Amino acid sequence: MRPAERQGFPLVARLSLRFAGTYAALMILGGLFLIPLLWMLSVSLQDAQSMFALPFRWIPPGRPRWENYSAALSAVPFGRYLLNTSVITASVLGFTLLSCTLVAYGFSRVRFPGRDFLFALCVSTMMLPGQVTMIPLYMAYARLGWVDTYLPLIVPSVFGSPFYIFLLRQFFLTIPREYDEAALLDGAGRLRIYWSIVLPQARPAIATVALFCFIGTWNDFFGPLIYLNSPEKATLTLGLNMLKSQVIGSGSVQWHILMAASVLVMLPNILVFFLAQKQFIRGIKIGGLRG
Amino acid sequence: MTHGAAWPVAAAILLSGCISTERKGLKEVEYNCPANALEIEVLQKEIKQFESDSGIRIKLNPFSGQDKLYAMMAAGKAPDIFYTNSTMRDRLAAEDRILDLRTVSTGDSLPGRLWPHVIQNGTSVDGGWYSLGNWEFTCGVYYRKDLFSEAGLGAPDSSWTWNDMVSLARKLTRPPGNDGSKGRYGIFIGSHFVEALELMNGAKLPREMLLVSIPAESADLYRRYIALMDEGIMPDLLRIQAMGMQPAQLLQNGKVAMLVESVPNQSLIESMTKPWGVAPLPRFPGKTPAYFRSASGGLSISSSARDPEAAWRALKWIVTVASTYQPTPVLRDVDFAGGWEKRYPQLRGSGFRRVWDLSLEHNGGDPRFFVRFSSWTSGPILERLQPLLDQVWARRIPVDSLIAALPAINRDIRREIGVMSETMKLKPGFRRKIEEAIEEVNDQGPL
Repeated sequence: MRPAERQGFPLVARLSLRFAGTYAALMILGGLFLIPLLWMLSVSLQDAQSMFALPFRWIPPGRPRWENYSAALSAVPFGRYLLNTSVITASVLGFTLLSCTLVAYGFSRVRFPGRDFLFALCVSTMMLPGQVTMIPLYMAYARLGWVDTYLPLIVPSVFGSPFYIFLLRQFFLTIPREYDEAALLDGAGRLRIYWSIVLPQARPAIATVALFCFIGTWNDFFGPLIYLNSPEKATLTLGLNMLKSQVIGSGSVQWHILMAASVLVMLPNILVFFLAQKQFIRGIKIGGLRG
Repeated sequence: MTHGAAWPVAAAILLSGCISTERKGLKEVEYNCPANALEIEVLQKEIKQFESDSGIRIKLNPFSGQDKLYAMMAAGKAPDIFYTNSTMRDRLAAEDRILDLRTVSTGDSLPGRLWPHVIQNGTSVDGGWYSLGNWEFTCGVYYRKDLFSEAGLGAPDSSWTWNDMVSLARKLTRPPGNDGSKGRYGIFIGSHFVEALELMNGAKLPREMLLVSIPAESADLYRRYIALMDEGIMPDLLRIQAMGMQPAQLLQNGKVAMLVESVPNQSLIESMTKPWGVAPLPRFPGKTPAYFRSASGGLSISSSARDPEAAWRALKWIVTVASTYQPTPVLRDVDFAGGWEKRYPQLRGSGFRRVWDLSLEHNGGDPRFFVRFSSWTSGPILERLQPLLDQVWARRIPVDSLIAALPAINRDIRREIGVMSETMKLKPGFRRKIEEAIEEVNDQGPL
């Protein structure tokens, strides 16, 4: 008999207790992170005055004010901004997945002189802060006549992103090389192996990159702020900023409308996360632990 | 929409987003307007009329913040018209990045329509006129009429003094009751309005000061201000900051009975449902009144503007015609108070007009934290001074400690301006003036 069992505590019970403690701690921590989101949701359903009530009422008295959402939708051309953001995000997502998987495939499966040096060079570009490259990039795009178009936001994704390349390469390294060798013997070319063997097995990593890329592009404020000028080309984040200036800069402060708009902008992120959650966590685990 | 139809729509948006929308044939002026959805919507409608009248197309480029502006300047693509504050305006003028408006306004009637101080506010040390503000405000003491009546107190008039204000605040202060009733403070003055009271207390704060000084009148005012908190007739500044409450809400929900705020204050006017009035700042016996009157920056024309004449005409239209900025307080021939009373009838009988007129009659000018410190040293001064001031307002250090720290701050500033004058690229007119100012400071001997 084990010592714990001898003391009257079966192992299963001890483990259950330990797990319960861990889960309780995680739930408390998760709850803390949820507070700002819940506050935002709560304020989005209140009127302008009750959000400043002390103590704060998480569930507002009376009926929830769903009309805040319609007010947010009509305060700015939300539909137009949604479409603009969707088009940019879809383009960036498509190009990023294509370019990054191809480059990562090259770095992980194809042997060629200088491969590791080029990989190190690629990864080292992550060290450059965006502020350093902002003005030279802006000057280059201005010279190309791309300012106030979506091109500066989309075209860089055609050339890959070092972080995603790194993430995918680490994952590709975990796929046994024997598959490639068998396919080569069967007459498959490099691109056929990439498409038919490596990509189907890398779904968790690709889902992870897709999720990061989606959230990053959807929420990007700085890129559109710098490169887009015309109000009709604005994205949701710029629209949200314009709404913020409107409700704070002039007139009474309508935080409830701003929070309703923020919930609407955030909604696709949450939906995509829940849809890709399983693959995403698997991708993070494999890419992070075995790399 | 079916999936079949969605693809062409998305493709059309992508294509339209990837094509520059510049139109040929018209003179085009790019205006960096504030990123405010309502303002953009109104401007977009009115611009069409201006376009057909003048043959000039105003292209809106809404953004706030300086990162994009500097990137655009570096690429030689700065908007033709953009907002500048006094600090950045002087630097941009010294680097020849913005136009002296005198070069495009010669013979124009607009400068004659402006209040003289408006041109002075936009003038830099070399004598050039680099920006035209389209907004100004003063400040006053808003008060709840119902709480005054309840306490049997008369409304403050133009001649009331600081002591009168303190006495009223004492009478209006209510501690929280044992029955759960909420307490009330007599007054709230945000620390950013302390300077307005320093001016009223007779502090002389000349424009373009290179170094920091705290006159005796300012120190006296700081002590009086802190005493309001010590006595419990004004809420603790830190507590108000922590609560994140808008000042208007403090007055609306009766947390305070009097509140010093900007005049006019659109947010306050629109959100107050309780009866209110506004009084001028209290006077200090024996001191000439000098009411705070501030401009929050102005519009400048880029020196890379493709057509400076067209940019000036567009700027004039923005300041004098565009309805979103009307009525503007910068024009002498405009009844600004009347315009606001028309827009907000609740201003009639509130005391608003009296407060406004007094600020024109006894114009005490801009706060030093915006423009009285020289634009070359205001950044370094505030970096050092503000943390100490915050500690004074939090009652962690006495005013005397702040005054004792000034020589060290000024020594640092002297060192820094020496380096700045050697390393900065400046137009000769600016360099000469700055070097003269530095010499003048050095002549005052060691600190």
